[in-house]
Amino acid sequence: MNLFVLGINHKTAPVNVREKLSFSDQEIVEANKKLVSKTSLNEGLILSTCNRVEIYGVSNDPDADHFGEIKGFLSDFHQLDPECFEDRLYNYNGDRVIRHLYRVASGLDSMVIGEMEILGQVKKAYHVAKESKTTGKILHRLFQKTFTTAKKIRTDTAITRGLVSVSSVAVKLAGKILGTLVDKEVLVVGAGQIGEQLMMFLKKNGIKSILVANRTFEKAQELAVKFNATAVKFEDFKEGLVESDIVIASTGAPHCLIRKQDVSEFMPRRRQRPLFIIDLAVPRDVESEVNDIDNAYLYDIDDLQGIVEKNIELRKNELENCDKIIADSCDKFLHWLQVEKAIKNDERYVDNRVAFK
Amino acid sequence: MINRLTDFSSGFGNAYFVTHLIAIVASYAVFFVTFSAAVLYLVQDNNLKRKHLGAMFNRLPDLSLLDKLTYRSIELGFPILSVAIIAGFLLQKDISGSYWNWNTKEVYSVVSWLLYAVTLHVRLSSKLRGKKVALLSILAFGIIVFSLFVGCGG
Repeated sequence: MNLFVLGINHKTAPVNVREKLSFSDQEIVEANKKLVSKTSLNEGLILSTCNRVEIYGVSNDPDADHFGEIKGFLSDFHQLDPECFEDRLYNYNGDRVIRHLYRVASGLDSMVIGEMEILGQVKKAYHVAKESKTTGKILHRLFQKTFTTAKKIRTDTAITRGLVSVSSVAVKLAGKILGTLVDKEVLVVGAGQIGEQLMMFLKKNGIKSILVANRTFEKAQELAVKFNATAVKFEDFKEGLVESDIVIASTGAPHCLIRKQDVSEFMPRRRQRPLFIIDLAVPRDVESEVNDIDNAYLYDIDDLQGIVEKNIELRKNELENCDKIIADSCDKFLHWLQVEKAIKNDERYVDNRVAFK
Repeated sequence: MINRLTDFSSGFGNAYFVTHLIAIVASYAVFFVTFSAAVLYLVQDNNLKRKHLGAMFNRLPDLSLLDKLTYRSIELGFPILSVAIIAGFLLQKDISGSYWNWNTKEVYSVVSWLLYAVTLHVRLSSKLRGKKVALLSILAFGIIVFSLFVGCGG
């Protein structure tokens, strides 16, 4: 009864290699079945996400070359030359498999440390394998324990705490400045990727309306259609400062578009309502002195990224606690596995004696 | 003050005294809420301006709520303080025969009343909002507290 894993992830391979090895939702049941039927594995499970492809297996044959077999399976299934992915693979066996799986499912091995999406993906992979009838007693137990461990890590440590994306930090700040976002308006100046992501996030949080301005008016209209917003002419965007509560600036302009004087002049017309300005542009679109005006709060991309990095650091500080929980669960599972092995040996021994008689 | 209770010249003296006492305690209680909200506002505003987003930032409520709590509580406390001051004048008239005696207690009460009036006016007319309103209300409360100590002596 040997446990092992073979895989490839965002640390060992670029996306163009990972995508060649990944399994789509449609083919994964079939792949699971093939994995077990074409190799010496007794149990098998494929975990395939955009950041990793991993194959977990249990085998009773101590002499077989499991890693070679799985490599063969991968190259057969995807019709790839093993050479193009071979040196990107990592493999573990025994207790390191358990530790690795626990780490993966808890998000400790993820690109954004502590993210919880991966737990759902591991659960799904497990259910698919169960459906494919390629899991047995050991993988069942291993994955059940994985889910409990991941949950324990989530509740007992701070690994999932703190916002780790620019958009989520910006939305949180908006809430702390403006209270509810339901009746608030946003002015978006310029179109950029993070800007769009942020718009989507704000929209999800119930923002009332969005004004979009861009140097090329067509682009503004395009965005307006996409987000159910209103497009305004670039020359008139400053008028939008009167009604809006949040301003997102992300133009490619080489100089400041919004100066301290502009905002001070607009404040009485805005009846001193708080204004949250998010400057995503490099070079910056908004003069940094705007932050000195009462009721105006300016955050630029460096500020937001700084907060994100600090939160990631805080999560990293929790790794030690997580590893303790993992080591603990790992020991328990190993103990169970040993008892299981002993029972199996015992059965074999009894069977042999029966055969002798 | 208790031994002066017998000095009331009109029959209303006792009523003025009770009204004054209840209203003054109630208004101070309300203004204590104003003061607390204003202090928290300043702390949270400072967190946001200086981009210091620690545990304090996470725990404190949003600025909009604290701002609302500040001026809404002044809206509530101001009429109560007005009643207290009017009752105080009537009481004074009963005791000393004059509404206004220029004692420090009177002056400070009226100054804090005026300050709350100004604060409420600038906030409701949206001439000022946020930090400056919070500062004004803290100043007004400071005068009340100061007048309490002065009042003990006078």
